[in-house]
Amino acid sequence: MRGTLVYTGQRLVLIAFTALAVSSIVFIGIHLQPGSSLLTDRPSNPVRLQQLLHQFNLDLPWPQQYWIWLTHAIRGDMGVSLSSNRGESLTPVLLREAGVSMTLGFFAILFTIFVGIGLGTLAAIRQNTWVDYVASTAAVITYSIPPFVWAFLLIIVTVTYLYTLTGGAIYEDIGWGKPEQIPVPALALGLPYAAIVARLTRASMLEVIRQDYVRTAWAKGLTGRVVVVRHALRNALIPVVTILGPLVTAIITGSVVIEFLFGIPGLGKEFVNSILSRDYNITVAVFTAYAVIVGFANLAVDLSYPLLDPRIRY
Amino acid sequence: MATATAIPGGIAERDWEMPEQVGLWQDSWRRLRRNKFAVIGLVIVAVVIVDALIAPFWTPYETWRQALGPTYQGITPAHLLGLDESGRDILSRLMSGATVALEVGIGASALASLFGIFMGLIAGFYRGKIDAVISTIINVWYGVPDLLVAMTLVVLLGRGVINLVVAIAVTGWLGMARLVRGQTLSLREREFNEAARASGTRSLTIVFRHILPNALGPIIVQATYLVPAAIIFEAFLSLLGLGVPPPTPSWGDMASEGYKSLQVAPHIILAPSIAISLTVLAFNWLGDGLRDAIDPRMRR
Repeated sequence: MRGTLVYTGQRLVLIAFTALAVSSIVFIGIHLQPGSSLLTDRPSNPVRLQQLLHQFNLDLPWPQQYWIWLTHAIRGDMGVSLSSNRGESLTPVLLREAGVSMTLGFFAILFTIFVGIGLGTLAAIRQNTWVDYVASTAAVITYSIPPFVWAFLLIIVTVTYLYTLTGGAIYEDIGWGKPEQIPVPALALGLPYAAIVARLTRASMLEVIRQDYVRTAWAKGLTGRVVVVRHALRNALIPVVTILGPLVTAIITGSVVIEFLFGIPGLGKEFVNSILSRDYNITVAVFTAYAVIVGFANLAVDLSYPLLDPRIRY
Repeated sequence: MATATAIPGGIAERDWEMPEQVGLWQDSWRRLRRNKFAVIGLVIVAVVIVDALIAPFWTPYETWRQALGPTYQGITPAHLLGLDESGRDILSRLMSGATVALEVGIGASALASLFGIFMGLIAGFYRGKIDAVISTIINVWYGVPDLLVAMTLVVLLGRGVINLVVAIAVTGWLGMARLVRGQTLSLREREFNEAARASGTRSLTIVFRHILPNALGPIIVQATYLVPAAIIFEAFLSLLGLGVPPPTPSWGDMASEGYKSLQVAPHIILAPSIAISLTVLAFNWLGDGLRDAIDPRMRR
């Protein structure tokens, strides 16, 4: 228990360090570059421009700007928007958007885990039958199709075809806010990664299934479900859990694509907009937010190892 | 070897039991050829490469010429994949898009691999403080979503093939560096390297003659996997309007144009989507095949 606490503490320090490093690299990189969302506006009165630059501290040298930004960021104030709603405080906006992204990501990960592990297990226990071949081939094809192509395909099917087919009774309403708008984007986001999980589960399951203790379980006359789920799967999942960390990072990256295409008002869409409109305050804030989210997600994954495998201790 | 030689001890005529002399690469190539999916992947990759080489010189129609027929026209004998929203020939643009995809895909994979191998060799060979610094950089950098880094860099550097390659390679080298570091750490402790050190071989010779060639198998596999990843990145950046500047057609650009007319003419978006997916699939199959062929123990 003590070990776990120390380990968690070390990881929290590393997360803070990562957030600091990422924010400063992005901040400095961006501020060394000419241009800002203020300068790309319509030709403006030079006096007014100077006022605006002064108002947002953009006329100061960048080390000073960074210091001001950092002291505010530590207190949870991520600065103000420079473009669309100039002067709007970013913290509440970003928190709301992070909630949207996390909801989408949560359902995508849920889908990835259950479908991936389920199909992988099925393919392993039916090894070398048509079930295995279909599942394995489908997995390679599925993860080779990038998330945005999945998004196109799903949009074509659920919006255009479903609408024509049912005469407008059932179709996907692209957007966000209603519970029925969650499954399709979550599916588009989770599918390629579900395929990866399925491949890994199958490989790991095949190794476990041949072990003596599993044969003993069969010999004891336990039912198939108990042998597979309680004896084999539990051990087979340990290598699978190790990719959950990178998986969470991948889902966060993928959500940028999916949110953009499905018009979901999350962090990813905000990031794309901010980078296209050069609203650098938002870019830096979202970057930092993602570094923190990825850090915590990986920590959660690492802390879950001992639950599956009591031999692992921190 | 073929002639029977009298061996002290009296065993003659042993040519029939000599194993065939096959090198590692020949042996791998033989295993690769036996793998159905790897061969299909190799064929598709070859077709895409040939296409990418031809497209700059010849396409059925000029890629930029508009109003070749009715806009949004579907499949016709003259235009095998139809026309897009400005009446441009989709097949010609698709062929031309392969050039950009491969330039970025192979370029980014090569750049990321070279840098990753370099960092991995240094970290693994010198260990200690140097390794600690490089490993910390890798671990911190891993916590940053790579796509966002690429997007930001393209905005900062400007659009273009070289900038895309750099923007993708900036995060792409991490996996390669980790792999090479691990390989180097284990290879440098093997007996043959101990022998090399004992006989006074210079560090540089050990690294490039004894360690690197032995790590080449996994490196090639990893570099193969980097290509489709870079192609997906390029397509997504183009989708956002951050790819190569027009009039050069890229698959991502075509998909983004097709997205606007998804309801009226789905064929415009399907063509580049299928092209991207097939190319990525082919590289993944080839990578899986290479992994199994070069080191059969790695098979999953």
